[in-house]
Amino acid sequence: MEQGIIALAAALAIGLTALATGMAQRAIGSAGVGAVAEKPELLGSIIILVAIPETMVILGFAVAAIILMG
Amino acid sequence: MIRKMARIEIIGLKKDLQDTIHQLHNLGIMQIEDIRSLSNILLQPINLTYDMTQKREKIELINAKINGLEDLFKKYFAVVPENLEDNSKTDEIGEKVDQVTTIVQQFTQNRTSLQEDLVLLSKYQEILKLMAPLFPESARKPGNATIGALLHTTQTHSMNMLINQLHSMTQGKFEMAVVKVAESTNALIGVLPREFIVSVEDYLKKEKITQLVLPEEYTLLSASEAQDRIEKKIENDHKELDALEDQFHELASTWGPFLHNWQITCLNFLDEYEIYSRIGETEFTFTVYGWIPNDEFQNLKDQLRESIGNDLVVNQLEIPKELNKKIPVALDNPKSIRPFENLTKMRAIPAYSDIDPSTLIAVFMPIFFGMMVGDVAYGVILFLLTLFLSKKIKTGIFGDLVRTIMVGSIWSIIFGFLFGEFLGTLGSSIGLKPILLDRTDSGSALTLLYMAIGVGVVHILFGLILGIGNAIKHKNKNHLFEKGGMFIGLIGLLVMVGTILKILPAGVNIVGYCFLGMGIILLGISYGKTGVILGPIEFIGLLGNILSYLRIAALGLASVFLAKVANDMVGMIGNVFVGILVAVLIHSLNIIMAAFSPTIQSLRLQYVEFFRRFYEGGKNEFSPFKKRILVNSKG
Repeated sequence: MEQGIIALAAALAIGLTALATGMAQRAIGSAGVGAVAEKPELLGSIIILVAIPETMVILGFAVAAIILMG
Repeated sequence: MIRKMARIEIIGLKKDLQDTIHQLHNLGIMQIEDIRSLSNILLQPINLTYDMTQKREKIELINAKINGLEDLFKKYFAVVPENLEDNSKTDEIGEKVDQVTTIVQQFTQNRTSLQEDLVLLSKYQEILKLMAPLFPESARKPGNATIGALLHTTQTHSMNMLINQLHSMTQGKFEMAVVKVAESTNALIGVLPREFIVSVEDYLKKEKITQLVLPEEYTLLSASEAQDRIEKKIENDHKELDALEDQFHELASTWGPFLHNWQITCLNFLDEYEIYSRIGETEFTFTVYGWIPNDEFQNLKDQLRESIGNDLVVNQLEIPKELNKKIPVALDNPKSIRPFENLTKMRAIPAYSDIDPSTLIAVFMPIFFGMMVGDVAYGVILFLLTLFLSKKIKTGIFGDLVRTIMVGSIWSIIFGFLFGEFLGTLGSSIGLKPILLDRTDSGSALTLLYMAIGVGVVHILFGLILGIGNAIKHKNKNHLFEKGGMFIGLIGLLVMVGTILKILPAGVNIVGYCFLGMGIILLGISYGKTGVILGPIEFIGLLGNILSYLRIAALGLASVFLAKVANDMVGMIGNVFVGILVAVLIHSLNIIMAAFSPTIQSLRLQYVEFFRRFYEGGKNEFSPFKKRILVNSKG
């Protein structure tokens, strides 16, 4: 029972942050593609902007790892 | 590395202007400054003479014609044809372009006429097909004539009135059929005695009813004869059109290779006319200001002296402080680093005062890539794939990325040996033992996380050292406090972690606290009055940046566990062959993901986490006034 709850907590930690990252990247990505189509020189900046929300899922991964490793 | 630049001034007599510009264009090593943008120079930009303007307009016209011809020809080439050398002058090019244009116009005219004819014939054919079975029997009787009219489906009332009128005009000797020939069009076919045909046609004309009239050559034929004739004509037209297309293809193959060459010649001339507006003039002299790589200055001076003579003065000028931000940047790196130059430029071209981070990206990015993939087999496959692609794609950002992944794949092989991975968990079955750690072992997971964070700490500390160096070089106190504060604070934090993990003696703990406090205070000072709040926030942001390196571990784990799933599938599925097929598919997917995701993630670590510590980026890339070159598709 306890192990199941631990696994669920880890899954929530990474799952919810992944969902949040995806939602943020959806908005940034679609706007970014539009911007790059008009100004290809913005590609570098757009990669950065798209990559920024990934920190959320990375932190989720760290939390999940801490939960699983006790 | 960033090349040292020199600001130069060229003063000469107006009689030498064209030769000087031509020579500068040929040398292609000087970026010419626009005289209008130099606030402290009181010289008028050169106005083109009437003759020069005329010649420029003539070349612009030739260029426009070439553009039009290239547009027409380009669909005949799957790849751009190899350019053929042709050293014709603009007048000769103009004549040749006119010749080609005339031939092309003739071809286009013939083709358009045939296409229009085909459209018309297929319309007739369609209508005849619909109408033929509906012609009343009486149409074949001698002395009878047929008429046809087109009516919109909404005109039912008008049609009834028309039928009544025709009946009364022909005293009831009118037979007819109505057929739908299009979405909203009905055709009315009527048979009537020949003596009424003139009055009926006049009536239709008067009522503005569209008559269905076949071309003259078909009017005297029966419906089936006309149909046969039209079919034959369509077949012939198609043959003619095909022959015309073949001839046009041949024309494109003959002239296409020359067109691009001529266009470049024209554009080179236009570039020279364009540059005059950037040059200053007095009554008898001209002055050119510009930038040149410092080591090219003597070469430029000698070449100009040799071709123009001693009337030309070439001076190297002091660079005033206000122009420091305008100095163009030219990068000069060894061939192995060049693919990474474009990755730097994707973020921003370095400012003249920056460090060129291309070499740093070339070192760190492939290592991070290798740490994420970390598999001998994946590394070898990726290396072979990218080696093959790099032979095919020699230029452009995609080519650079391929070469980047190729270097990364070598590091993947190295880390593959360190992690003991071969197609994921198959390493042990071929006698490969993990040297550093086993990523599939849950006991090593914590070590992997520590390793990723450790890499982050080292990378960010290195970035901060570069940032501190930059701040000292530019005597920027704020930047020094900011980067220095982060560096000291981070060292303090590391000391504290060291004492907690009992790597350092507990007594050193106080040093850690002091360093951390001092670092945050210095960081706060760099932000001025808001520093009390922003200092600690920025320091927490820095810790977030370090944690961001956990992606190295996360991606690595995802990759190795996907490979493990692929291998386990073989045993889980009853049929071994199906199991192997599924495993191959999953491994292929993993390799494709391994090529993309680690590239993006390691690039992000450079751009977001590393560059922010020392790199500002500029806007002025060195763009010398040089001749456009021919790029051959085979090259």
